[in-house]
Amino acid sequence: MKDIKDLSKKLEKFIPKDKKEVTKNTSSLGIAMRLSSELVAAVFVASVIGYYLDKWLETKPFLLIVFFFLGAITGILNVVRTSKMINKD
Amino acid sequence: MATNPMTQFEVYSIGPKIQIGNIDISFTNSSLFMVITVALISIFFILSTQKKSLIPGKMQLLAEMIYEFVAKMISDTAGKDARPYFPFILSLFLFVLVANMVGMIPYSFTVTSHIIVTFALAFFIFIGVTIIGFIKHGISYLKLFVPSGVPAVLLPLIVVIEIISYLSRPISLSVRLFANMMAGHTMLKVFGGFVVSLGILGGWLPLGFSVALTGLEILVAFLQAYVFAILTCIYLNDALHLHH
Repeated sequence: MKDIKDLSKKLEKFIPKDKKEVTKNTSSLGIAMRLSSELVAAVFVASVIGYYLDKWLETKPFLLIVFFFLGAITGILNVVRTSKMINKD
Repeated sequence: MATNPMTQFEVYSIGPKIQIGNIDISFTNSSLFMVITVALISIFFILSTQKKSLIPGKMQLLAEMIYEFVAKMISDTAGKDARPYFPFILSLFLFVLVANMVGMIPYSFTVTSHIIVTFALAFFIFIGVTIIGFIKHGISYLKLFVPSGVPAVLLPLIVVIEIISYLSRPISLSVRLFANMMAGHTMLKVFGGFVVSLGILGGWLPLGFSVALTGLEILVAFLQAYVFAILTCIYLNDALHLHH
């Protein structure tokens, strides 16, 4: 009985460490892709919104410029949020 | 043999041309591989769950592992309330995963390397999640765009930013999957081209790279399917539990 307990203790030492490493390695690539796409998508969406608002309100370049910067802000905010969420896990 | 690395992404129709109005709905190679993907998943699950023995065989074990993997992913990220959406997440995950993996077979077609396919999936998720949110919370779902504890002066700006952030979800979800798959497959093809053009003397180095990249691509194929499914769970979680 004692032997088994000792063995499982020994095993416990190894298993979590090993598992953690695997998930860390595989997901770092995923994290990189996630953050970059998050940043780009927000800028893209905001610019499209700005472009069509411009067309609709006939204020040609102004809203596009405003929304481009809003998109950049949103993108950075999204990246910060996503990395916070990843850190929490 | 095609030397242009982009020809692998060409969509062409197989069989008769079918047209409704101005829309061409002929059966293409893309549709063929989607059918293959769905057929593979169905056949696998039908075969593996046929016996239903208490001590599972290899096939049944694999099916159970997939089931448990997705079930755990949902309960970890979206909680208990997301259980009813399990079939959807499982089919989504398997469709993307198997489509990616089928694309890794030489001379096959990668369905997920087309933005329209991934965008259709992501947009469907986006609409679905929004509807679920409105059903669960009614009009107060719009509180998602108004974070608490923000000074009134900043509120208009924050609301616009939150709306952009919400609308960018389907784009980021679809672009990530599509860009990963397309970039990976193009890279494989380019290195394959180097092997041919450098010949027997210099071709060994790119050949090695090709082998390494194939391994990396299989990893990416799995990882992107996983990320796609887990982000769906996260969006579902936002819709089910309104906390801001």
